[in-house]
Amino acid sequence: MPRSALSAAACAALVLPFAAGCVANTPASTSAAGSGAVTVDSSATACTLSAATAPSGTLTFSVTNSGTDVTEFYVLAADGLRVVAEVENLGPGLTRDLVVQARPGTYVTQCKPGMVGEGIRSDFTVTDSGTTVGPTGDTATQLAEAEESYVSYVKDQVGTLISGTQEFAAAYVAGDDATARDLYAATRLHWERIEPVAESFGDLDPFLDLREADLEAGQAWTGWHLIEKDLWAPAADANGGVAYTPLTQTQREAAAAGLVANTQAVVDAVNAPGFTFEAFQIANGAKALLDEVATGKITGEEEIWSHTDLWDVQANLDGARVAFEVLRDVADAADPELVKTLDARFTDLAALVSAQGSAETGFTSYDALSTDQVKQIAAAVDAVSEPLSRLTATVTSAS
Amino acid sequence: MLANFLIGLREGLEAALVVGILVAYVVKTGRRDLLPAVRAGVAVAVTVSLAFGAVLTFGPQGLSFEAQEAIGGWLSIAAVGLVTWMIFWMARTARFLKSNLQHGLDAAIAAGKRAVVVMALLAVGREGLETALFLWAGAKATGTSTSPLLGAALGLAAAIALGWLVYRGAVRLDLRVFFAWTGLFLVVVAAGVLSYGVHDLQEAGILPGLHALAFDVSTSIPPTSWYGTLLKGVFNFSPATTWIQLAAWVAYLVPTATVFIRTTWGTPTRASRPAAVPAGVPA
Repeated sequence: MPRSALSAAACAALVLPFAAGCVANTPASTSAAGSGAVTVDSSATACTLSAATAPSGTLTFSVTNSGTDVTEFYVLAADGLRVVAEVENLGPGLTRDLVVQARPGTYVTQCKPGMVGEGIRSDFTVTDSGTTVGPTGDTATQLAEAEESYVSYVKDQVGTLISGTQEFAAAYVAGDDATARDLYAATRLHWERIEPVAESFGDLDPFLDLREADLEAGQAWTGWHLIEKDLWAPAADANGGVAYTPLTQTQREAAAAGLVANTQAVVDAVNAPGFTFEAFQIANGAKALLDEVATGKITGEEEIWSHTDLWDVQANLDGARVAFEVLRDVADAADPELVKTLDARFTDLAALVSAQGSAETGFTSYDALSTDQVKQIAAAVDAVSEPLSRLTATVTSAS
Repeated sequence: MLANFLIGLREGLEAALVVGILVAYVVKTGRRDLLPAVRAGVAVAVTVSLAFGAVLTFGPQGLSFEAQEAIGGWLSIAAVGLVTWMIFWMARTARFLKSNLQHGLDAAIAAGKRAVVVMALLAVGREGLETALFLWAGAKATGTSTSPLLGAALGLAAAIALGWLVYRGAVRLDLRVFFAWTGLFLVVVAAGVLSYGVHDLQEAGILPGLHALAFDVSTSIPPTSWYGTLLKGVFNFSPATTWIQLAAWVAYLVPTATVFIRTTWGTPTRASRPAAVPAGVPA
């Protein structure tokens, strides 16, 4: 067995019940002028560190006892009281490594020759290296809970999505276009809420949600928007001057079958054993949903024939909101100010959107919105988007 | 050299004493067939500790401070639980001596075979990882000097010798006196382990009050002195003890010792002169 595998296995066996306790002995950042590794010389009367600052991340204090008595070395919090890490019982002539997951901030280091008294103290600064410091203990538990709760939300949404899609496809194949038009936006709602998850499965998103404008040469057009165009058949002047040709019954059946099959593939992937969606993906997904709103929905490009863009806006907003909510506790512990900002801005945006209707009663058609209303919503989306872009960093660096 | 000797002594002492008493118990109750089980428990604990220590010292992955504290803390709590159980197992056994010695003892031991292995394992394993990390750090430093390693090894040897002496003394004791005194000794040891575990949790920030000291006698009993080492090694005595540590120690020691003394010596009034009760005479 390779050394690293053996070591990881030993580490895992030891700390399995204690959350994340394994740390690299060799800090990843050692390449940068020896940063990440600090040597400490503890003699009877002095405590000499090779550096007074280090970048955040995994720090290794290599403590050597050059005195004649047993010594201890502590890394204390800025108050000089709380123990961040320690190495005890260091005999004369010995060197021990103390590995610390250090977040940016000020600390106090302390050598305690003879293991009594106040010891020899000095200040130590950890600068922000941009390296995320892994979560431990309660945060790890909270993150695991957030991931679990987000995955069950996704499973719930795809469950409704597949049954809605089947119903929609059946109505469309049967030629009941009125029913299909009614079901279109309400069904897509469940798709738009979890789109970042579907995007993580590679090919499925383009098969399901590609817009005609984004078609590449030679690419076959499938999915929701193909059917959308067929249901809301455009006049010739809206169709590049060419009269729109409705799909044949065979084409309809193929489009409907493809939509159901590809949606089923998403459902299967989500329900596969071991499917997880990690905290950073949840946070990134929330941001991605709002970017969708900003680049596609609020411009009216997404639902160019049906003009049901506000449904999608609502759905993207719901998805982002849920992602934020499951991460709330972790984010709140790390950056309460960010959580407060997000709360306020989500509320503002939700108020603007709900002024135009709801998923139950239906939304104003996009082409009925005034330029001012569109601008207002766009501004509110940007206002959420900016703090939301900090959520991933906040969540992944929480510890 | 002396400082490293004392570290070895301190780390090894508690384990040596508990294992010594365990072996004395097995021998005195005529169950020498359980000795391999004790040996196996000790061997497993030593091997596992050394292996983990080596891997964590020389491998690319180490343990975070939090994980080390957590391992120490949990093993301490498990050790207190097991030692307490053993104390009352002994006390029950001692009680059987009043009526039907052989029958009662067999019943008690029947339940205890696996416990004997686990006891030996835990007694050694609790300090094992820490000691192994120390030893391997010493081995790493042998390029410069072998004296730290030698000092620690001598200290461990001294601890084992002391454990053996306790064992020799214990086997000479009359059976009931043996149960009574070793049981009481183990109550005090367990109280110390609990107090030590509490201090670990305070250092890890799980419990408050790390700097609220009940007393600090570290100037008169330096932790690195030979007597400080003995007190720490045997009773986990800390010269600078926090209020919560003291409270945990008292809260465990007083009721446990009271119940133990009542169980073993029959009536509380006789507790003051336990040695005066001759063996085999009904109390």
